[in-house]
Amino acid sequence: MLETTRPTLLSSCAKAATAAEARFRVDYPNSRARASRIFALDAGAAEAMYAITEDPWNGAHFLTVGGTGVVDPDATSADDLPLIGPDGAAIRLSQEIDGADVVILLASTDRQIGAAEVIAREAYMRKIMIAGLALSNGLSGSATDRVVAALRPFASVLVVASDNDFIPAMLTALRA
Amino acid sequence: MLRKEVNELLTQTDVGTPMGEMFRQYWIPALLASELPEDDCPPVRVKLLGERLIAFRDSKGRYGLMDEFCAHRGVSLWFGRNEEDGLRCPYHGWKYDYTGQCIEVPSEPEESGFCAKIKLKGYPLIKIGDVLWTHMGEKESRPPEPTWEFATVPPEQTFTSKRWQESNWLQAMEGGIDSSHVSFLHSGSLKTDPLFRGAKGNKYNQADKKPVFEVTEHDGGLYIGARRMAEEGHYYWRITPWVMPSFTMVPPRGDHPMHGHFWIPIDDENCWAWSFDYHPVRALTPEERQAMIDGYGVHNQYEAPGSFRPRQNKDNDYLMDREAQKRGETYSGVWGIAMQDASLQESMGPIVDRTKENLVSTDNGIIMARHRLRKAAVALRDKGTPPPGRSPEHQMVRSAARVLPPDEPFAEAMKEDLKVRPGEKQTSV
Repeated sequence: MLETTRPTLLSSCAKAATAAEARFRVDYPNSRARASRIFALDAGAAEAMYAITEDPWNGAHFLTVGGTGVVDPDATSADDLPLIGPDGAAIRLSQEIDGADVVILLASTDRQIGAAEVIAREAYMRKIMIAGLALSNGLSGSATDRVVAALRPFASVLVVASDNDFIPAMLTALRA
Repeated sequence: MLRKEVNELLTQTDVGTPMGEMFRQYWIPALLASELPEDDCPPVRVKLLGERLIAFRDSKGRYGLMDEFCAHRGVSLWFGRNEEDGLRCPYHGWKYDYTGQCIEVPSEPEESGFCAKIKLKGYPLIKIGDVLWTHMGEKESRPPEPTWEFATVPPEQTFTSKRWQESNWLQAMEGGIDSSHVSFLHSGSLKTDPLFRGAKGNKYNQADKKPVFEVTEHDGGLYIGARRMAEEGHYYWRITPWVMPSFTMVPPRGDHPMHGHFWIPIDDENCWAWSFDYHPVRALTPEERQAMIDGYGVHNQYEAPGSFRPRQNKDNDYLMDREAQKRGETYSGVWGIAMQDASLQESMGPIVDRTKENLVSTDNGIIMARHRLRKAAVALRDKGTPPPGRSPEHQMVRSAARVLPPDEPFAEAMKEDLKVRPGEKQTSV
């Protein structure tokens, strides 16, 4: 290592890392709004998600996989995926995912793994990061494992949350 | 991003604050046992959670931790005489026992009982392993004594150090659960540090700089799993346990000792970074112990003997070496894993303004940790609910590293690896 004493300059850490200097930090926004797309893959996830959609978000879009059947990913193109918005209107996946910065998949069961694959395929083609949130509230350990296993192939980050309060905490942290 | 009021809730730990009251629910490391090496040795000033305290060891070997200042005229008891079962203020001779009870006021008649009415606020101080632990909450809320494995293995298997970090505790602790920085900031040290190098897992770390993360909860905190590619489609998993409020362990490498940290607030702008190394089943070798003393691994060198301020500190720009950076010996130009972290965390300012940060999905371990801390602090404040992380079961955790087939969830496959198994080796790659 080098010598242990150095002169204190205006740009030295000794001066720069103080509380007094913190007030001179540039006070302009350092990021633009992100385009976050949050997909609830099943009814349980949709219920948790719709509890917070009225909160003030920075342009996040909240979407639910609708329909009653299980999505077959091999037979379902992007725009065949039955997506609905908060007002119940049908939504086209390709329109939603174009220009998105991050995709967040919420799941409380492994039932709609096919829908996750369709969304992930579109995100992957556009090089969009996918985060998965497995909602384990009320689930057994093995049921949680199935949800995690279903999301794992698609998510770069996977979180198992035991309480639904984590959804708004995460979305706030990510500036959704 | 964190709202200003939540940032304040999580970073402020003085008495009466929600997070301060939460820290006061735990046994926390207060001093190295070596700071009070013998009976009647010199007292030591200690500042914890914004409280100025004095620690001493009396003539019978009992440890005391109490208000630093004499109740008479406010003199610091650091100047006290540690003699005959108590600490005597040199100003007018008032004397206190290890609990803070005044036992002598020479100017008052002994029969008056005046001294019985004087008591400094005192906290218990107990020795477990190399560490003196204190509980700064009410006696009624005192949890069982600490059972961390690093503190309970035989002395020849463990080594603990501490360093003063000039930042709030939370930004320091968040570095401990941020696995994604290792492939960048510490990449040089993985090749050279004697307490890290040579492990097979290092090559996975260096080859795959885009780990995939899985965060799962356990009763006492979180497991943060980082997954990188290994051979034949398998995954190399590194699991970091976090136990509330501020215990973390680094996933192990080869047969190197395991290591980890406690991050304990001194006040809102300073914290203690406690760093430990231990091996669950064998003594540390002389070379390993010497490397720890020399500041390798998670430890550091000191400014002066007896000082806990690092040799590399903000007053000397952490001995920034741009040439070593260019040569690829260090990624940031700062030597040593501990100071690579500390230099960046202190550069954020004493309390980082989290309203300005831009977290990304890979920061979900940090996001979840903040969420759990906030919930626990609010539950304690509003309902008196004791926070997680106090019970022995929550403390019996280990970090682990393992190569798994792609379809095996780490939480299930590594369940036993992540528990303390007395007499059994750590799970490592």
